[in-house]
Amino acid sequence: MPKIVVCYKWVLDEALIRLRADESLDFSAAEYKISDYDRNTIEAAVRAAQAIEGTTVGLTFGTAEAKRSIKDALSRGLDESYWINAPEASRADGAVTASALAGALSKIEDVRLVVCTEGASDTFARQVPPRLGALMDWPTITSVAELHIEGDTLTAVRKLKDSLETVEVTLPCVVAVLPEINEAPLPGLKAVLAAGKKPVTELAPADIEADLSPKVTASSTRAYLMSRKNLIIKEGSAEEKVAALVEHFHKEGLV
Amino acid sequence: MAGIYVYSDEPGLVAELLGFALSTGKQACAVTFSQEDADKAQAFGADKVLFFKGASPLAENYAKALADYLAAEQADLFLAGMTPRGRDLAARVAGYLACGMASDVLSLTPVAEGFTVEKMLYGGVAVLTETLASPAVVTIGSGKFDAPAAGDSPVETLEVPSDMRVRLVTSAPLVQEGVDLNKAEKVVGVGLGFSKQEDLSLAEDLAAVLGAEIGCTRSIAEERKWLPVEQYIGISGAVIKPQLYLSLGISGQIQHVIGVRDAKTIAAINTDENAPIFKAADYGIVGDMYEIAPLLTEALKKV
Repeated sequence: MPKIVVCYKWVLDEALIRLRADESLDFSAAEYKISDYDRNTIEAAVRAAQAIEGTTVGLTFGTAEAKRSIKDALSRGLDESYWINAPEASRADGAVTASALAGALSKIEDVRLVVCTEGASDTFARQVPPRLGALMDWPTITSVAELHIEGDTLTAVRKLKDSLETVEVTLPCVVAVLPEINEAPLPGLKAVLAAGKKPVTELAPADIEADLSPKVTASSTRAYLMSRKNLIIKEGSAEEKVAALVEHFHKEGLV
Repeated sequence: MAGIYVYSDEPGLVAELLGFALSTGKQACAVTFSQEDADKAQAFGADKVLFFKGASPLAENYAKALADYLAAEQADLFLAGMTPRGRDLAARVAGYLACGMASDVLSLTPVAEGFTVEKMLYGGVAVLTETLASPAVVTIGSGKFDAPAAGDSPVETLEVPSDMRVRLVTSAPLVQEGVDLNKAEKVVGVGLGFSKQEDLSLAEDLAAVLGAEIGCTRSIAEERKWLPVEQYIGISGAVIKPQLYLSLGISGQIQHVIGVRDAKTIAAINTDENAPIFKAADYGIVGDMYEIAPLLTEALKKV
């Protein structure tokens, strides 16, 4: 049965990262989540699988932490899941991630389509899909806003800076989809329960052929602090609050 | 020959990227994939313009040919403009070269071992500083470097194979469904605090007196579909720099705030005084937007 592989990422929920005044980051309250846009990507793969009468496989490259992503991904409609469990994932750059994914993909038979998200919600680097296509020497289509498959032909509408470009390719290929491609439904209780029974394959770095040494050296991370006036009007009647805001606008020359 | 090779599908950006390349003292080359682009780039003051001539009309399809050329020349850097096509080509080239790449950087500085960049992480919460050894690939936006003085550069045409597997069927101009928020002096942003689509009239009335356009959060455009996707503000949507950004019923998730943090003044109205939008705001009112917005509209009419 032909397979569609969806690459997704288990990321820190940036909304729960706290910023300290000394520009350092506090991760103590941070939780992980499936990268926001990957939810739409999984849904795109599920729909594409119906078109090719195939099955869907989730694939993630992550640390031990990413184990918790598997059930979440499977509950969104995937049939099975692969997880490359590697400590190297914590300091991976685009080169490492693409190499690990390509290594795992070579272990999965009869892959007709690889679906990625244009960018992950933590790095938003938008590197991995084209890099993956280059490493596998597969044709690649990025910025995909619409996807249609008929027989062996995939047609995509790409949303570029100021044009919509329709392209076609003969499968197999790699596509990178934009979140606007569909509306991802929330998984129902039945889907969540069924997810626990689906097959999961865990791979170690030694199981795949991949170069896991980063090409980019990170030297420092600092909080992006915004300096704003933070004059928040809490007291008084609604009319008084509005009058105070209008006064501020007036002083700023905005009205 | 070693040097910095630049590409963008926006001619203005090609000139700016050449400005950076020339400032490093290294050879500055513009990379083009059509005669038309080569002719345009020829006047930008590059040391050389390369025209990769092949059968495909899509720049991305020359990634392998370009990567082979850059490897043979021992290029220091391939620098592309951060448009969808520029990023795609850049990442493919990085894939073929198996080299480091930094996407959409805030700054780019040549250093002894290669290049140092700053870029955003975690949706803009943090700034990461990284170093890339040569050969490196970087994408960057406009407004970072000055275009060099115009010149008359030699054009070198290279007949190369292109990847014909992805075929162009049609190309149509992107019809802007919503307003162009980048041109707006003032923007009123709407969020999930609005419970019904009809209620957006409150924001429209306020925008009318302010002379503002309407923007929104990703949820309003992509989930509720109340406004065109072009009108959502945030890391994956519009990133704008208006004089005033006034948000109504927006909690202020970082992914949204990143789209307006270069606004001159940010104001917010929200019922929850702990909403993160107030930390990003110059002025705010803690109160019910349904009550405050009409009062503000009336008050501004009298100014």
